[in-house]
Amino acid sequence: MFPYDEASWSGVDGAMFMGWGGALPGITTFLAVVVCIAVLVIGQRSETEKAKKFDK
Amino acid sequence: MEEQIAELVAKVAELEAASGGAKVTNTMFAETFYYLTIPLMIIIHAGFLAYEMGASRLKNVLSSGVKNILAFAFMIPTFYFFGWWIYWGFPTGLTFSEGPAGISGAAYASSIALGWGDSAQYMGPNIADQASGVFFGAFALFAATTASIMSGAVIERIQTVGFIILAVVLGSFAWVVAAAWGWHADGWLVTKFGVHDFGAAGLVHAVAGFFALGVLINLGPRIGKFNADGSANHIAGHNMPLTVTGLMLIIVGFWGFLMACVIVPGEAWSWFGDKPSTIYGTPITLSALSFNILMAVAGGIIGAWLFTRDPFWMMSGALAGIISTASGLDIYYPALAFLIAFSAGIILKPCADWLERRGIDDAVGAVTVHGTIGLYGVVMLGIWGSGFPALQGAAGEVATINLMGQIIGAVVFFLLGYVPGYVVSYILKMFGMLRIREGAELAGMDLVKVPANGYPEWGTDAATTPAE
Repeated sequence: MFPYDEASWSGVDGAMFMGWGGALPGITTFLAVVVCIAVLVIGQRSETEKAKKFDK
Repeated sequence: MEEQIAELVAKVAELEAASGGAKVTNTMFAETFYYLTIPLMIIIHAGFLAYEMGASRLKNVLSSGVKNILAFAFMIPTFYFFGWWIYWGFPTGLTFSEGPAGISGAAYASSIALGWGDSAQYMGPNIADQASGVFFGAFALFAATTASIMSGAVIERIQTVGFIILAVVLGSFAWVVAAAWGWHADGWLVTKFGVHDFGAAGLVHAVAGFFALGVLINLGPRIGKFNADGSANHIAGHNMPLTVTGLMLIIVGFWGFLMACVIVPGEAWSWFGDKPSTIYGTPITLSALSFNILMAVAGGIIGAWLFTRDPFWMMSGALAGIISTASGLDIYYPALAFLIAFSAGIILKPCADWLERRGIDDAVGAVTVHGTIGLYGVVMLGIWGSGFPALQGAAGEVATINLMGQIIGAVVFFLLGYVPGYVVSYILKMFGMLRIREGAELAGMDLVKVPANGYPEWGTDAATTPAE
């Protein structure tokens, strides 16, 4: 997963994170967005369900 | 011609003066950088203090605080007496020989980390040494953090002196050996297996968490925690808002903790003249930390909220987020750090419940948050970071991060925590120094240990209810 052809720190003078130059940053960013939205949807549903129990 | 030479000499003198000024500025910056990490890390202790006291019942609130404050106080001198020596003496294992970087072994440690003889010049005020004191301070605070981690797990039934002995063994010995082996350029786990644990997920958090587990097995649960059929009760602390605020303070302090894991450039002891590095000599920036810590905190909170909705677990999720990504905060991509932290936030509560169903009364979830998630973080880096050189240099010349190496590191960190925790607490139990007497526990430890009342005008403890 080293982002450069040669796995050596001495040649690194820029981005040094996993997946740089590949699809990983984009995929993980997309998944993180999906997680945030999914959690909000689930949270809204379950909170509404619980709140309904207190309807008179 | 003579005029030109004189002009040249004057310019060289001017440049030398400017360079000397820059050097002084850099040295002052380096010293100030580490100096500031120390009060930031003391905020971790303010957080643990609030967290533990909030998680204690009214009758134990001050004794929990006293225990935590004393752990901090004993950690500093014992780390000065022998902990600092262990860090420099132990990296190559039990041979105490010098490693490839030349900054380890018994002879080296004895030349810089003993409080007597020639070595004492590096253990006290010295105008020619603007590094040793601030490095010592930062490491002593790492040590105190380990003691605080264990401290929360054992509240409401441990004896004060027994606890301090355990804290000293953990903070000035067990984690220091782990740091020497896995958090030092000469550490054998690093040079032989490529173990990489930039932010100390394993060597601080997992060691402290599993040390606490070893102690909890011998200490036993609080009276009333478990019913005769083995089911667990939830013993509510007296002040959840104080606990949650304490957890937030711990998060604040961790910015100092992780900042102290960075080696600043431009000094004789730096890895580079022009760029910061990790303790392994691999590159890092404070910007990298900023991206990844923030994303990890957020991921952990969101993951914990999804299934618990409980502010205690949400803020524990924030801690778990940092811990689960700490090993690779230097090289994770922020969105990946978020996802790993999110997964840690999700598994946190089920892991704590699993432990509780096995009869372990961990009052604040320290074994899970720090121990289990710490090892999870070490192994996660093995999955995602394989192939990165673990030290300054190129693959082939130095070991690379790999899954098996991280698993070996995780096993070593587990053993370095669990074994001393279990053995020393067992010995203390044999001598009657581990657990407070039953009558005192029922009456409340503040009555026994503290000549003051936390809340003199308040009533009784909250009712005990089923845990699940």
